[in-house]
Amino acid sequence: MAFGFLKGLRGGAARTPRVAVIGLDGTPHSFLQRLVGEGAMPNLARMLQEGGTLERMDSVYPTVSSVAWASFMTGANPGRHNIFGFVERKPRTYDLYFPNAASLKAPTLWQHLNEHRRRMVVINVPVTYPTREVQGVMVGCFLCTDIEKISTDAAVVRWLKEHGYRIDAETRLAQRDKGEFLSDLRTTLDRREEALFHFLREPWDYFQCHIMETDRLQHFLWEEMEQGDARFAPEFMQIYRRVDDILGRVRRELPPEVPLLVLSDHGFCGIRHEVYLNRHLTDEGFLKMRPGSSELLSDIDAAATTAYSLIPGRVYVNLKGREPAGTVEPGAPYQEMRERLRTSLLALRDPEGRQVIEQVLRREEIYSGVAADAAPDLVAVPADGFDLKGRFRAPSLFQRSHLNGMHTFHDSMLFCDRPLGSAPGSIVDVLPTLLDLMELPRPEGIDGRSLLTR
Amino acid sequence: MHTGLTIWFTGLSGSGKTTISRELEMRLRERGVRKLEVLDGDVVRTNLSKGLGFSKEDRDANIRRIGFVAKLLTRNGVLVMTAAISPYRNVRDEIRMDIGDFLEVYTKCPLDTCIERDVKGLYKKAIAGEIPHFTGVSDPYEEPINPEVVCETDKESVEGSTDKILGRMEQLGYLPPAGAVEYAPEEEEKVRERLASLGYI
Repeated sequence: MAFGFLKGLRGGAARTPRVAVIGLDGTPHSFLQRLVGEGAMPNLARMLQEGGTLERMDSVYPTVSSVAWASFMTGANPGRHNIFGFVERKPRTYDLYFPNAASLKAPTLWQHLNEHRRRMVVINVPVTYPTREVQGVMVGCFLCTDIEKISTDAAVVRWLKEHGYRIDAETRLAQRDKGEFLSDLRTTLDRREEALFHFLREPWDYFQCHIMETDRLQHFLWEEMEQGDARFAPEFMQIYRRVDDILGRVRRELPPEVPLLVLSDHGFCGIRHEVYLNRHLTDEGFLKMRPGSSELLSDIDAAATTAYSLIPGRVYVNLKGREPAGTVEPGAPYQEMRERLRTSLLALRDPEGRQVIEQVLRREEIYSGVAADAAPDLVAVPADGFDLKGRFRAPSLFQRSHLNGMHTFHDSMLFCDRPLGSAPGSIVDVLPTLLDLMELPRPEGIDGRSLLTR
Repeated sequence: MHTGLTIWFTGLSGSGKTTISRELEMRLRERGVRKLEVLDGDVVRTNLSKGLGFSKEDRDANIRRIGFVAKLLTRNGVLVMTAAISPYRNVRDEIRMDIGDFLEVYTKCPLDTCIERDVKGLYKKAIAGEIPHFTGVSDPYEEPINPEVVCETDKESVEGSTDKILGRMEQLGYLPPAGAVEYAPEEEEKVRERLASLGYI
């Protein structure tokens, strides 16, 4: 049942209801609340005072952007949409590939909008490359490396090139020089902002622009922010101040009846240790690599391997019939192997004696749908501060690098500049809510529920 | 695609074999599969098996002929789809053994629903006794015990059933996963570098 006050939010009778969305990659709910409290995000604070809602939301397992944004755009768990990480195994091989929008197996928001003849402007949302034809404008995401291919519309590509648009910040700079990286990140954000406001003036019924820069900033400078680093903490805050300016300006340019939503796909926290799970699996006798130094999955000694891991925390049993050289029989031996792995992972402690893995989920507990067969057999969920990695020949289990921020599951956020009927459970609830706001029917085969109803 | 494959549809008349095989054919062509052949039961009975009736012997002969042609095509790298009722389990299993690269798709649909659909008007005639040996009415249908894919066509959409088959083909390595083919090698290297610089791989 919809609330009376939501009538206005759903728009007038004759007019097609429109919605605008800004994505802030990896912005934690807790951090945003803190900034609002400290007066560091005045525009967001004003919208909250005027009746807006800022809610905490769960992400997905495993907690990475490609998986989470795929769940956002399909309203479905990964078992339906088929994206389980940034790398995936090619079926019946030990070869890997990089999944992208072509790997999606569930219908997306963009397809629903096309089907209902709603015009859209969609910029930079993760997992929108290869970019498809839409009614309106679609600019792909960082899974595209060539600006010529970032849109199927030649006029859009031309505008982006003329205005120096950047697909993503140059993250390789961060290893060498964080100052240089930050300067590149600011330029990327400038160009993103310019594209945002340019295409905001196009005709659309649905608008979404994704700001990736928050995630990139946090991967390399979260620790500096937390520790109040004299140089980088203020620069970190300055980026969020810029984000707040953008939100304020978007709100001012939108007609008052158009709702503005802002969401992130996961939270963030500092890194205590990078944890190389394949080192653990090797030490415990589950995994054996062939002699050499290659980091390829295809270089496992399959005959002597019962399990291996892909980043982050995805664990696969070397199962007979599914893997090219499986060693574990299906049925009871498979179940026993999974339980052995769970016990082993849950027992993992860091050098200070802290528990590394909080829970180990079985695939059937979190995934269901047409793509569930491609899911990892187990997903290890780390305690905050333990960043699970996928290298095969890491010399030691615990390490540190120049990366100092990692994703968290429980702390993503959803903002709406007016009240919602109920608080979100997880990111899959956003799609049905957006469709509801646009007065479009709820599609079949999704997992989320509209937040306009109680 | 290097290896051929026979996708063997089996199920009652009106359960959706032809409909799904047509959708699957279209989707596979969209994904660049060129060597593709459909052996539809109704079509086969007008040429390859012309003159055969519907006794158990004639049915088995019909299915074995389809199986034989499917085998020749499969071993020459063709993706073959057969859409015939093929009601008897032992003949299907015999053909499975013979072909090897074999994916059995059971279009599962309650008899009542098939009778309701009655696309070709055959059930009406069969129930009236005008067609003898009609599968489901006056002749048995033996369900597959372990088919690679079950399409519950009274519950699923044609697209949904087709997705299931495509997914299973990918999983068994008969079809490159969608997406895996979208990156050129130098592009893939750039994606790898970007993801690596973020600690994502």
